[in-house]
Amino acid sequence: MTAYLIAMAIVALIYMLLTIGLNLQYGYTGLANFGHVGSFAIGAYITALITTNGGFAYVSLPASVLGAALVAWPVALLSKRLRTDYFAIATLAASETLRLAIIEEDWITNGVHGITSIPNMSVALGLDVDPNILILTLLIAANLLAVALITRMVKSPFGRTIEAIRDDEDAVRALGKEPATFKVKVFVIGAGLAGLAGAFYAHYFSYISPEQFLPLITFYVWMAMILGGTGSILGAVAGSLVLVLFLEGSRFVRDILPGVTEVEMASVRLFVVGMALVLLTLLRPQGLMGDFRKR
Amino acid sequence: MILSLSHVAFAFGDFRVLDDVSLDVPPKEIVGLIGPNGAGKSTLFAVTSGFEKPLAGTIMLDGRDITHDGPVARARAGLGRTFQVPREFRHLTVRENLLAAAPNQTGENLLPLFLSPRRVREEERALREKVADLIAFLNLTAVKDTPSGSLSGGQKKLLELGRVLMGDPKVILLDEPFAGVNPVLIDSLVDRIRELNAQGYSFLVIEHNLRALSDLCSTMHVMDRGAMIASGAPSAVLDDPKVQEAYMGGVL
Ligand SMILES: Nc1ncnc2c1ncn2[C@@H]1O[C@H](COP(=O)(O)OP(=O)(O)O)[C@@H](O)[C@H]1O
Ligand SMILES: [Mg+2]
Repeated sequence: MTAYLIAMAIVALIYMLLTIGLNLQYGYTGLANFGHVGSFAIGAYITALITTNGGFAYVSLPASVLGAALVAWPVALLSKRLRTDYFAIATLAASETLRLAIIEEDWITNGVHGITSIPNMSVALGLDVDPNILILTLLIAANLLAVALITRMVKSPFGRTIEAIRDDEDAVRALGKEPATFKVKVFVIGAGLAGLAGAFYAHYFSYISPEQFLPLITFYVWMAMILGGTGSILGAVAGSLVLVLFLEGSRFVRDILPGVTEVEMASVRLFVVGMALVLLTLLRPQGLMGDFRKR
Repeated sequence: MILSLSHVAFAFGDFRVLDDVSLDVPPKEIVGLIGPNGAGKSTLFAVTSGFEKPLAGTIMLDGRDITHDGPVARARAGLGRTFQVPREFRHLTVRENLLAAAPNQTGENLLPLFLSPRRVREEERALREKVADLIAFLNLTAVKDTPSGSLSGGQKKLLELGRVLMGDPKVILLDEPFAGVNPVLIDSLVDRIRELNAQGYSFLVIEHNLRALSDLCSTMHVMDRGAMIASGAPSAVLDDPKVQEAYMGGVL
């Protein structure tokens, strides 16, 4: 039972990093990122490639963050030219292109077969402790740090300006501020957080393959953000916990629905989470932790 | 001239909206711009502030050619504008809207935000004082902590003026500042604009309330179907038969 709770907590904390990043991008800045899973994948693959080739996590963790941020940078530049809806499509396309590239470039990524035997956190750090407890501790620390840093950012003049950009970009321009400068920074930081989440993911599951990085993951993160409340950092924390509860809880739907195949189960879970989202939007439109004055 | 438009032309696709429009705003003056709906007044503001590119003509701000600058560069060069339909940052309070409008804040950059928090804090304190004064000046004290999306139309117009003032511009373009504002508030807004003018601000004002506008401005221009049809002292312009005809005897 404890092991099960730890496993759930680890998954929830990985989603939390992703959701905090997306909330900074969309909730605060209005950047509709539908390709978040792409940054997650980059983090996971960088960690997998470095640590399966003898590298330590002291190198691979920062490399995953920087790699995801670096790849996000040209995508962020698109936000200069594209309206919200087109930017959403462009980011979705970017993450799918990346996934196809991972499949195609099998000389480095091992294609559809994925990368196996990624060392766990203890091995990767060269520490003689329980790997699950270690990764749980590091994830808690990483999330606390992310919450502290992002809260400092959004409750500052920087945060005020990105919220102004979300509300009306042209009005920001008329005040002599270039929205693109802010959007690029925000997008890159959100991607870095997703890259970190990917690194933890790779260590925890020890096996990664392209099919784990489908757009479905992006949509789960959106759900967590909306459940918790867009434009609220604590909402991102609450939303990812609730999301994982729903995803796990929907496993038990299987007992009520005998004869449902594993493939169909994925749709059932999506349906359950979707229904929860619809109910919540009806009952509490601002999200669990959302502030009523914001949307 | 603080602002000078010469022979400006503009079209939305094939639809000619501005045709050889010229207009000057002398320093420390309030210039009025009137004309029937669809005449192209707001479009002229869009072209002047860099949101639309003119097909021809030049735009000079305080002696500098800004024709090829974008809206951000023009705002930085000292051109402030409001919009006909207010564009408040609706999730931000009145106070936050004004704070957000302050140019070049240290705390808008991430490195100083984390590395020199004291400097950011001190700058923010000074800024809050400035904003508190501005809120009092604009009679927005009662709503200073209200999300601006729920303000009345008139209060939004005041807020937009306040945001522009935060940037301390050389010239301010106001697009229908009195539209939707209740008559009592209009009088106070007229007083505010006069006060600012006395402090040295120059204005170009689009307005349908001709009584309030002719009280304010020294020179008035009239546009109709994309062309300037009359310019001069307000009383003379309003008596001009061409102007009367453009309005089809209705409003005047
Ligand atoms: N974005 C646009 N696209 C196409 N036509 C437009 C656009 N904005 C305004 N127009 C047209 O340009 C003309 C001038 O509009 P506008 O400048 O708003 O007039 P005014 O402010 O004098 O009422 C109108 O005929 C209007 O329909
Ligand atoms: Mg107009």
